[in-house]
Amino acid sequence: MSRLRQAARRIWRVASIPLLAIVLAFIVAAFVIVISSVFTSTGLDVFLPLGAYGSLLAGAFGSGTGIVNTLVAAAPLILGGLAVGLGFKAGLFNIGVAGQFLVGAFAAAVVGARLADSPTVLAAPAAMVAGALGGAAFGFIPGFLKARTGAHEVVTTIMLNNAAVLLLTWAVNDLVRAPGFSFPRTGEIGNSALPVLLPRNLHLGIPLAVLFVFAVRWLLDRTTIGFEIRTVGQNPNAARYAGMRPVFVTTLTMTLSGLLAGIAGAIQMLGVIGFYAPGITASVGFDSIAVALLGRSDPIGILFAAILFGAFRAGAPLMQIETSVPIEIIDIIQALVILFLAADLIVRRVFRVRSTKPVISELATVARTWAGGTPPGGAT
Amino acid sequence: MKRLLALGLALGVVVAGCGGGGLLGGGLKIGMVTDIGQLEDKSFNEFSWKGVQDGASAVGGTAKNIVTKDIADYKQNIQSFVDQKYDIIVTVGFLIGTETTAAAKANPNIQFFGVDQFIADPIPANYQGLLFNEAQAGYLAGIVAGTITKSNKIGAVGGREDVPPVVNYIKGYQNAAQATKPGVQVLVNYVGDFNAPDKGEASAKTMIGQGADVIFQVAGLTGAGALRAACSAKIWGIGVDVDQYQSLPDSKACIVTSAEKRLQNAVRDGIKRFKDKGKQSGNFTNDATNDGIGYSPLRNLNPVPAGLEDKLKQALADMKSGKLKPVP
Repeated sequence: MSRLRQAARRIWRVASIPLLAIVLAFIVAAFVIVISSVFTSTGLDVFLPLGAYGSLLAGAFGSGTGIVNTLVAAAPLILGGLAVGLGFKAGLFNIGVAGQFLVGAFAAAVVGARLADSPTVLAAPAAMVAGALGGAAFGFIPGFLKARTGAHEVVTTIMLNNAAVLLLTWAVNDLVRAPGFSFPRTGEIGNSALPVLLPRNLHLGIPLAVLFVFAVRWLLDRTTIGFEIRTVGQNPNAARYAGMRPVFVTTLTMTLSGLLAGIAGAIQMLGVIGFYAPGITASVGFDSIAVALLGRSDPIGILFAAILFGAFRAGAPLMQIETSVPIEIIDIIQALVILFLAADLIVRRVFRVRSTKPVISELATVARTWAGGTPPGGAT
Repeated sequence: MKRLLALGLALGVVVAGCGGGGLLGGGLKIGMVTDIGQLEDKSFNEFSWKGVQDGASAVGGTAKNIVTKDIADYKQNIQSFVDQKYDIIVTVGFLIGTETTAAAKANPNIQFFGVDQFIADPIPANYQGLLFNEAQAGYLAGIVAGTITKSNKIGAVGGREDVPPVVNYIKGYQNAAQATKPGVQVLVNYVGDFNAPDKGEASAKTMIGQGADVIFQVAGLTGAGALRAACSAKIWGIGVDVDQYQSLPDSKACIVTSAEKRLQNAVRDGIKRFKDKGKQSGNFTNDATNDGIGYSPLRNLNPVPAGLEDKLKQALADMKSGKLKPVP
């Protein structure tokens, strides 16, 4: 009993601020909904937030379909969140998940279309590997630049995001455009599509994403390289003094981060979208940053944060149908969650939480990298 | 705290349920899934939605929309309307065409309309693509260009030559300009890309360098660059598809009109056709006969050249009666 209570207390210590930030975000967003209802044809409706949140919940968890949709939407966020979270562990802020995701999705789409007629056992893994390698290559570039030249990863990854979009638009237009469509896109993926395990598209990518949660956890907690990543993140100078290789670790971490983002793109491509076309948006890229922050870079935390964000996406259609509350309210809630995580003093005041873990270290990384202080893991 | 929240949410479901039930007084349930972006985009989403609302009130039905934020959501957004037993589902833009085809095949009892979607064989019996006679709309743009040009040189920037709607727009434009002002020279360039504003800008600049003083863009984002070039060179620009004076505020200063697809009318009429005649399929072309194409209000012309409005109205009437064929 007391052990159970201890465990609960431990979880509360880590999870209280994120959970309360979510609750507070919902409350503040409720005011936004009520106020904006004044400007609609139905007029002021103080119960609208209840209706909206009710259908959001019902859409996300109220039926088998809803739960599957939640998991489908969560899968790429899990991997994207792990990608960002892994970077945070090494003191790196990878904003390039959006670009790495797209490169991974594109590579998977191209290889998938090539192997469309091969057996699935061969085609799907090959396309997945292509996606993973594409993302890894696109993560390697900023990692290498950072390690060798000190070029800041925040700057390089933001620029590489744009480079990815334009490069892939060119590639689809001029290199791999499939014939027979009225707009530029890659071909049908046919047998390369990920097998569907349960009706309504519960595809193989979902268990795979969960598997990676434990793989990353194992990497960080149980391997030498994981220890090096964490040490470099906490203090690159101490790491170097201890005989570790910050240059190597930085490059490797960004490459692994890109790899995870590439896999996220690949499962989204092979499990849901099916073809690459210019104009494909990668909301996953930026949502992943929020997921990693909310999950405090902990793989298990990221898993839950991704499911929450997936639920938002899966519940939004029903919310729009039943209450006509626009999907943009989801963006508001997500932004508020991050805001309250960053300004956790507000959360502590409102809910009178006694001091737990004082600072969320990921935010320290964000602040440090944005403020242009000593780049952790940077070149000497 | 948690229990309270759960109670609140449960209450919310009940409230939402009652509200929904009260609003639906029978009639057709019409749902629209937008293209990626926002509802009030002053472009395809916004005008299609207006059409859905008009259609709903014309047939005594209800209208709802789901806004798409990510290409991965197309499937579940369409499916949400299917699950809610909607009678008509309208989807917007060509990107969503693949998912719409799949949904139409899986749900033969629901009518699907695809705005700007060309449907290839085999065409499901419950899926209709709403297309537009671009040549007619281009013809109207050509009348304007032929009337306002002073240098007797006008230009058109196209996306790709292998996309028929683009070529149709430009052919109509060429023919009208030459009929309006004999001897006018029409410079045409197909950039080969719909997503490259820089290329559009370069192409338009070349034409301007050759003396063109009106640029018609039929090239999506590439064309936005072409209009920008027209504006910075202080010559006239003509928009495409929707009233781009509204959708491209950057180029407000020089857009005189736009060759319009009347999305609102097309969607409304599609819904009415379904109400009157049942299942609709194939590719339905909207044109002058059903107000499916037109021109946006003339702007930035001080004064508007004498007789221009009359010429445009006459051309519309003649295309309606079949007397005028924009592309012989």
